[in-house]
Amino acid sequence: MYLRSLTLTDFRCLRELSFEPDPEGVTVVTGPNGTGKTSVLEAIAYLATQQSFRGVPRESLVRVGATAAVVRGVAVAGERSVSVDAEVSLATRSRMLVNGQPVRRRSDLDNGVQATVFTPEDTEVVRGGPAARRRFLDDAVALVTPVEAAHIETVERVLRQRAALLKRSHGHVNGDLATTLDVWDQRLAAAGTALSEARERVLSALAPEATETVTQLTGSRTAVGLTYRRSWNGSLEDALAAGRADDLVRGTTLVGPHRDDVELTLDGLAARTHASQGEQRTLALALRLATHRLATHRLATPPVLLLDDVFSELDHHRAASLLATVPPGQTLLTTAVPPPPTVPVAATIVLGQGAAA
Amino acid sequence: MPAFSAPVQNLVDELGRLPGIGPKSAQRIAFHLLKVPSEDALRLAQAIVAVKERVTFCPRCFNVAEGDLCIVCADDRRDPSVVCVVEDPRDVVAVEKTGGFSGRYHVLQGALSPIDGIGPDQLKIGELIARIEPEGISEVILCTNPNLEGEATAAYLARLLQPLGVRVTRIASGLPVGGDLEYADEVTLGRALEGRRVVESAAPAQTRPARADQG
Ligand SMILES: [Zn+2]
Repeated sequence: MYLRSLTLTDFRCLRELSFEPDPEGVTVVTGPNGTGKTSVLEAIAYLATQQSFRGVPRESLVRVGATAAVVRGVAVAGERSVSVDAEVSLATRSRMLVNGQPVRRRSDLDNGVQATVFTPEDTEVVRGGPAARRRFLDDAVALVTPVEAAHIETVERVLRQRAALLKRSHGHVNGDLATTLDVWDQRLAAAGTALSEARERVLSALAPEATETVTQLTGSRTAVGLTYRRSWNGSLEDALAAGRADDLVRGTTLVGPHRDDVELTLDGLAARTHASQGEQRTLALALRLATHRLATHRLATPPVLLLDDVFSELDHHRAASLLATVPPGQTLLTTAVPPPPTVPVAATIVLGQGAAA
Repeated sequence: MPAFSAPVQNLVDELGRLPGIGPKSAQRIAFHLLKVPSEDALRLAQAIVAVKERVTFCPRCFNVAEGDLCIVCADDRRDPSVVCVVEDPRDVVAVEKTGGFSGRYHVLQGALSPIDGIGPDQLKIGELIARIEPEGISEVILCTNPNLEGEATAAYLARLLQPLGVRVTRIASGLPVGGDLEYADEVTLGRALEGRRVVESAAPAQTRPARADQG
């Protein structure tokens, strides 16, 4: 699919911006620092996920001094053209419409814009804590197997309900509370097991793609290992029952998909501790591109590829291999420096000339 | 120092307590009411007074009622042995529209949601249990919303009701998952009611033997 047009109003520092990215080539978004280059990508990703990829609350997407941010996009897939409109309001609830129909859950968004995002912060997936890896995996689940994305929301919600119940108990359990906990544990076990299984499936599909991508990016054969580590053994319902006493004391749930992790290896060595910074960046990029390829297979058309500030991280040689590695399709990339001459630029959007406030 | 005079601030505060109304919306509605002709604003006030004075909850099923029993409970052609448990009086309207249910209702007035401070004691659950024997109820249809809180509430009720020897059924899946009953169309909801299944009884988690390793 590709994005035919994008219109932003009061989104981040951008008062008003409207443009048509090149449908099948590379559109470069450039301009001095602080003019909102990354915000343009963030707006497109918002249409795809209803979330900021910077992991900030929605309200921070509204321009300072404005009361609502609006993003409108028109996506085209084959013969079909779909409008996706998002409003983030400080006064009322945020809304999102796909072809005029309100979006109720994440999978509704799959009919609209799909996007793969890579930002410099993605290195955290390799270098940082387990939360970054789980976020990456959940993005991949939503993009590659969107029907499973409902489990992500269910798990988050059960965990909040369970935490509220644990806190309310003040560490004491009567019969009534035990029954209520049983009921929530049952929900958590069902959704949690389904989510971990969905992550495991996506991970085993990603591994060969990631190996191929790293090999292409570096020019030398490198095996990427991706191993899912559950935070429990056996059935999750039993693990929750066994951990209940601890959970009551701590007021939180100590086992479940929100405690799982992924072990990343390059040629058998732990990437977190044994890879160089350059290798870690390449692996992080390869993981996103591998997701992009899987999503391309599923959709039979590539998602929009959004690359934030990617040339500050890669030398000219790797930049060229990067663009040779991705399936052909619409790409938007931000850069503060002129892109390497090997990049086939189809269109350029220059910010900081009246578009930004 | 408050930004508005006391009566205006009062109105903003009261409006802000309504579901789905944030502080900004509360201000907008309050200033709208200040602007409109008095009779328009008073009509709203009178509608609220009328609903609070004339409409009550049915002492049997907690559906909305005008007078004593609600219209369903007051209708003696309804089958007293089958009870459809719903979260909200609006769900009674939704099930009635299907035309496929001839029993009585029980309105829980919510669903389990610890985040919102709603546990079993905040719902009309004790009142439901108390109806089973005197009314000779033989089947309870759990018709809570097909979302997380509705499913949890249904599972909780099943555990309570099964030992009492009543047939406990749950509306069939096929309703949009995560949605509310009131969004389902009559045909879909009617089919879900028709295709209801008996809820399997579940032993409490602590006494269940460990299952084979799945991980
Ligand atoms: Zn009644």
